[in-house]
Amino acid sequence: MAEKFDNLEEHLEKFIENIRQMGIIVSDFQPSSQTGLNQKLNYMITGLQDIEKCRQQLHEINVPLEAFEYIDQGRNPQLYTKECLERALAKNEQVKGKIDTMTKFKSLLISELGKVFPEEMTKYKAIHGDDPPS
Amino acid sequence: MTEMFSTLYGQNEAQGPPGSSLGFGPGKPPPPVPPNQVPISAQMPPQLGDEGPVLRKPGAMNEPFYLLRELPVGNELTGNTNLITHYNLEHAYNKFCGKKVKEKLSNFLPELPGMIDWPGTQDGSSLRSLIEKPPVCGNSFSPLTGASLTGFRLHTGPLPEQYRLMHIQPPKKKSKHKHKHNRPQDPIPQETPSDSDPKKKKKKRDEDPDRKKKKKDKKKKKNRHSPDHPGLAGSQPNSLR
Repeated sequence: MAEKFDNLEEHLEKFIENIRQMGIIVSDFQPSSQTGLNQKLNYMITGLQDIEKCRQQLHEINVPLEAFEYIDQGRNPQLYTKECLERALAKNEQVKGKIDTMTKFKSLLISELGKVFPEEMTKYKAIHGDDPPS
Repeated sequence: MTEMFSTLYGQNEAQGPPGSSLGFGPGKPPPPVPPNQVPISAQMPPQLGDEGPVLRKPGAMNEPFYLLRELPVGNELTGNTNLITHYNLEHAYNKFCGKKVKEKLSNFLPELPGMIDWPGTQDGSSLRSLIEKPPVCGNSFSPLTGASLTGFRLHTGPLPEQYRLMHIQPPKKKSKHKHKHNRPQDPIPQETPSDSDPKKKKKKRDEDPDRKKKKKDKKKKKNRHSPDHPGLAGSQPNSLR
């Protein structure tokens, strides 16, 4: 799995480097640079072909669209991962708090009902059996 | 609380067992039916299938309880468990949330040239626009022939200023970690990627402490020759006393 990403990363780095060198040639163009520029253009096309081949190995990979929002804003996409983890943990804690509160309420209610309606509660426990600890 | 329960039970007993019809007293509205539960009339006779908890036949087994349903089967995985440890994400959590993650995109991709910290909407290079309007292209990439390369014959000379910004990288802060590829910041023609930048940087670093020493020496000399200096006021020939 990591090899597929390494392969794609390598091709992308070479492609970007080729584009960067083309930019340097074009920024102050000289007639003698024409053959070099033509060569770089063909390197760019072979680079695109290599990246196209990598696509088949990665067709199962899904990227969340929210991560693209971060990239479009010029922000680090790792912040998206960080915020996802923080939100998941916060929600986890919130739900755990609800579960704990409801469990305490249930045990308190059963004990109070047992004091007020002892016969009915014995019948209730006979029907439901001993409630499993939640 | 006891009085409310006793009044509810009292009214229900006066009306008699409900049988097939709901027998809630007039004084208290019926409790809201959960959405996963089917009303009694629809469930009689009980049906097989995934329709929620099974409703026991009223009046037969569950007196004095009505609408007593079986407890739902609890899931093993609930919010009670720490889901981050359950899915083995502790390392990821410590990596992203334990340390400070830098804000800019250039911190994530330090070797990418150009001004990548700017929003993509400004120059039309956003990924969102690429997804919404994908470019129309052919099925395969074919190399350029001699005829098609004639379109890439350029005029000699530097680029206009409006296009030069594409190559300028933002000034990088001095970091302890050395980058693998040391690239020049300004475009220079016929330049190789592996330049003597580390040597230039070393020379600048060597010059900086020397410059500081020189500045300190100059300051000391100025202080010596100033009239306000207490130690050397008498040694000066021009001092008036």
